[in-house]
Amino acid sequence: MKTQRTIEEINEKIRRGEATVVTAEEMTEIVKSRGVEVAARDVDVVTTGTFGAMCSSGVFLNFGHSDPPIKIENLTLNGVEAYHGNAAVDAYLGATKMHPEKKFEYGGGHVIEDLVSGKEVELIATAYGTDCYPRRSVNTTITLDDLNQAILCNPRNAYQRYHAATNGRDELIYTYMGKLLPQYGNATYSGAGELNPLTNDPDYETIGVGTRIFLGGGIGYVTGSGTQHDPGAGFGTLMVQGDLKKMSPRFLRGGSFTNYGTTLYVGIGIPIPILNEGLARKTGISDSEIKTSLLDYGVPRRNRPILKDTDYAELKSGKITLKDRTIPVAALSSLKLAREVASTLKRWIEEKRFLLTQPQERLPSTGSLKPMKISRETLFAQNIMLPAVTCRAEEDIDTVAKRIVEKNVNHVVVVTSTGTLCGIVTSFDITRAVALKETKLANVMTHQVVTSSPDEPVESCARKMKKHDISALPVIDAEKNILGIVTSERISTLFGEYR
Amino acid sequence: MKARLKFDKQRTAEPIISTVVLKTKALINILKAEVDESAGEVLIEVPDDKAESTIAAFKQEGVAVQVGGFIEISRQRCIDCGHCITLCPVQAISAEEDLTVKIDQDRCINCGACVDCCPTRAISMLQ
Ligand code: SF4
Ligand code: SF4
Repeated sequence: MKTQRTIEEINEKIRRGEATVVTAEEMTEIVKSRGVEVAARDVDVVTTGTFGAMCSSGVFLNFGHSDPPIKIENLTLNGVEAYHGNAAVDAYLGATKMHPEKKFEYGGGHVIEDLVSGKEVELIATAYGTDCYPRRSVNTTITLDDLNQAILCNPRNAYQRYHAATNGRDELIYTYMGKLLPQYGNATYSGAGELNPLTNDPDYETIGVGTRIFLGGGIGYVTGSGTQHDPGAGFGTLMVQGDLKKMSPRFLRGGSFTNYGTTLYVGIGIPIPILNEGLARKTGISDSEIKTSLLDYGVPRRNRPILKDTDYAELKSGKITLKDRTIPVAALSSLKLAREVASTLKRWIEEKRFLLTQPQERLPSTGSLKPMKISRETLFAQNIMLPAVTCRAEEDIDTVAKRIVEKNVNHVVVVTSTGTLCGIVTSFDITRAVALKETKLANVMTHQVVTSSPDEPVESCARKMKKHDISALPVIDAEKNILGIVTSERISTLFGEYR
Repeated sequence: MKARLKFDKQRTAEPIISTVVLKTKALINILKAEVDESAGEVLIEVPDDKAESTIAAFKQEGVAVQVGGFIEISRQRCIDCGHCITLCPVQAISAEEDLTVKIDQDRCINCGACVDCCPTRAISMLQ
């Protein structure tokens, strides 16, 4: 290692206005064209940036005391409930908490955006009243300026990388990875690739506890590794905090994911001091070297099937190949704003407004993630399905009607000669057929059948039935062989009413 | 049918819409009107059977008429993520060189698929 410099030496150069600062994208170009050695010699700081939906975001607020004072028990801000389990007039407002009447449209993230935009926010609080805090209710409007403190405090931000999502189901789904068209009709991903902060310091050599960062347009600090920090798998995260009062609505935006929830978009930029050639090489990483996987979000399980390996170069190209198809892919995060974050941070350093910090402690670089411990076993379709009563499309209505009575069921699955699924008929269809003097089963049965796979969780079966307003799902394997049937009746007897 | 009319500076004071109504006897519904010192823009709805004659009449009056494509991206709210691009069935949305996302009004068929995908609710369908 030839080039060696310390953070103090870099700060000296920044103060003298002599530091060379480049963005992570520019660094990739420099390393590619001039080599690691030259890059390490010439560049002092690389600025990174990301701008994405960070659900694990929120803000600690202190309202000051009213007279007479109140010990708040329940609290809403613009109708969004804030968590109040701390001192009398403190609260934590989380980005994903939704307004009860404006679900998926307005939530904690939007309240934070409104606050940071200087808008008035309605505060309604109630309390049980104590000898020292007698007041029982407050109904007022506040702005960011009225608050004593507003501290953005996000326990899990800035994922090192994330997987891409698509949907193999026959139906459109709305997920936290966006709106996914049926049969792999589109794909989404998140993260800024080679601009991403942790991607440029994958061994957490310079980013640690106390690192000063760009946060939401203001200044923040890394306070430690984030929740679900998973360095073993290359999915590191950061916990960050900063003064909301100094931030800007350009880099903090409320987000809405239809049928999933609300969130906060956060801009984060971290400067990486080029202390040695190793860091020059690491910050020279390019999109094609950052690997991730395309997962099928149509499968509602913790471990979603991997459809293919990909990288950020392919993802950023806007098209991704899947077997013999090319499907459109786009980010849910913003590369354009990530670039703006990195270049703003670069400008701050060049203008001597931002100095680098020495981390007080390194982030854990080993360890892995545990799944949630579920004390009651999860059930899947195969655990609760019943044997399916079947018939053939050629059979006449009378025979099928008799079978329904005989077997005491409401659904008969229509199968082909080889036993694969081709339709479903309900006792209601049969009643209607009799009333209309229809004799052909093919004319009354449903041909487009909503089905389940054997390993689909029961909750997901229940959601499907509710969504399509039906009361049974034939369980089939990949070859469409009938394995059984899941009915809403069966779910209700096992678990009580499903919502 | 919906159409957007663009008047230039000199014509905003003239009763062009009334003239066209008298001529074509079409019941024109004004959905949105924006007029300032430089130009005027009006969104109208015309019964389908009178669509052709009405458009022709406006064109005769020297008004620029645009049919279809009434979707708008708010530059204020859009973060240029590109998610909407992947949902558009007719490739009416695309990203420019600098990643700014734009809708091609002429291609848009007003299907609405992009509206509820937008995480910042930047897309609106002009009603
Ligand atoms: S989905 Fe919304 S925010 Fe994203 S590019 Fe389209 S209009 Fe802009
Ligand atoms: S409304 Fe439909 S056609 Fe128009 S831009 Fe949106 S998705 Fe494309």
